[in-house]
Amino acid sequence: MSDPAPGNDPALHIVDLEKRYPTGVEALRGVSLDIEPGQLFGLLGPNGAGKSTLIHCTTGLAQPTGGSIQVFGHDATTGSYAEARQAVGLAPQEPNLDWFLTVAETLDYHAGYFGMPKRERRERTEELLETFSLTEKRDERTRTLSGGMKRRLILARAVMHKPRLLILDEPTAGVDVELRLELWHYVQRINEEGTTILLTTHYLEEAEQLCDRIAFITEGQIVAEGTNEEVAERFGVANLEDAYLALVGRKELSRSHIELGDEVAS
Amino acid sequence: MSAAQIRFATLWRREVNRFMKIKKQTLGAPLLETFLYISVFGAALGTRIDKLHGIDYIVFVVPGLIMMAWSTNAFTNNSSSILQQKFQGAIQDQLSSPASPLELLLAFSLGGFMRGLIVAVITFVASVILIDLPVDHVLVLIPALFLVGFFFSQLGVLIGVRAEQFDDVAFAQTFVLTPLIFLGGVFYSATLLPQPWETITHFNPIYYMINLVRYGFVGYTEVSIPLSLAALTAATVALFLVNLRLFSRGYKLRS
Repeated sequence: MSDPAPGNDPALHIVDLEKRYPTGVEALRGVSLDIEPGQLFGLLGPNGAGKSTLIHCTTGLAQPTGGSIQVFGHDATTGSYAEARQAVGLAPQEPNLDWFLTVAETLDYHAGYFGMPKRERRERTEELLETFSLTEKRDERTRTLSGGMKRRLILARAVMHKPRLLILDEPTAGVDVELRLELWHYVQRINEEGTTILLTTHYLEEAEQLCDRIAFITEGQIVAEGTNEEVAERFGVANLEDAYLALVGRKELSRSHIELGDEVAS
Repeated sequence: MSAAQIRFATLWRREVNRFMKIKKQTLGAPLLETFLYISVFGAALGTRIDKLHGIDYIVFVVPGLIMMAWSTNAFTNNSSSILQQKFQGAIQDQLSSPASPLELLLAFSLGGFMRGLIVAVITFVASVILIDLPVDHVLVLIPALFLVGFFFSQLGVLIGVRAEQFDDVAFAQTFVLTPLIFLGGVFYSATLLPQPWETITHFNPIYYMINLVRYGFVGYTEVSIPLSLAALTAATVALFLVNLRLFSRGYKLRS
């Protein structure tokens, strides 16, 4: 983990966040969370727990119905959200690329939406095309890319404007091992360089290896938070995977449980 | 350029880039359509129709066609662009940026406005060459055309934001906009209609827009020009404020 950025404000400061959809579904029920600058923070939980809703509220894609969000001390939910948005980069779960744009245009336009001057955009685009092995695809329309290439481009787009807080919503879902490792190496590198990272993933071993701190969210509430060891201890188990299984009420799927069962059977 | 200016310029450039990349569909097709109208109603039918209010029939019709080209292209572009981006999820990239609701709304609006402007200008230049189209009141014509273009840009944004499927956009265009334009007097003078149709035509807002543009070109009108300009300005501003409110609330854009 890198040294925290200057200033005392947390990278992300969420207080009593609530989100009730017009359908009546309560996706978030009083979530409070602090992520310190420079951390690589894992937000874990089952499908429908509220992870994506929390991310959408932070990035302006959903309007909270209660509570507050601050990004590096800047309010992210009221009318003066510009500085908070400027500080955040989002790689969403679903590929949401603009079909009309080429790969290079996707990066250039994104940086433009964030107010980056032309020369800087051009240099940054070349740098990221190279970093994510997209140079040969630069003039191809995004809809012609393979799933892996789309995933690379989405991550490149998220970091294009040099955000201080990078939010990765299941960034390695459905990608092959090689690409997954490439992406994690990149994420670790920019984290070491000072970028704070909020990560959601279903790959618990990745969260265990990469994250400084973890929070478990279920039914719109944070139920545990701390280091891997602290979270495991909170559930009275040995590791993060067992803690997760305890959270979702499926302890019988624990590897230690299965191994013990095998020994008894033999 | 300031960060806000770069943001706005990029958002606007994206909208123009979109329709320029599919220009056979977005510019070629409407131009062909307009020239077909001119051919059919001017060259074919026009030779068999007497002058209308002392004006050659084709000259009477072309101002309405120019207005129709600008308005339908502005509307179609914006409604389609916004709905497509909502479908793809690509609009999230813009919504999660620091861009303000005003910047987003203006950029979306001006994309369609530009497309309508390009089609209208090409049609106008061709008309001046082919049929000697006059421009009698340029100080009425320019604000009238710009207001009409901006009004329909706003209408396109409104429908695009509200739409949940492509059917919604097609419905608005086919069952509302096109009949209003056709029945607004593009191809005829309302004074020629029997009652109650002449009176009913006066309740069609497009009728006033066509008269404004026609007055700008050929100096003929059936309505009060100052009143029509004032009403069109008020309607455009009202629609803009409604859209700004929707963008500020994130209506059907943010969950």
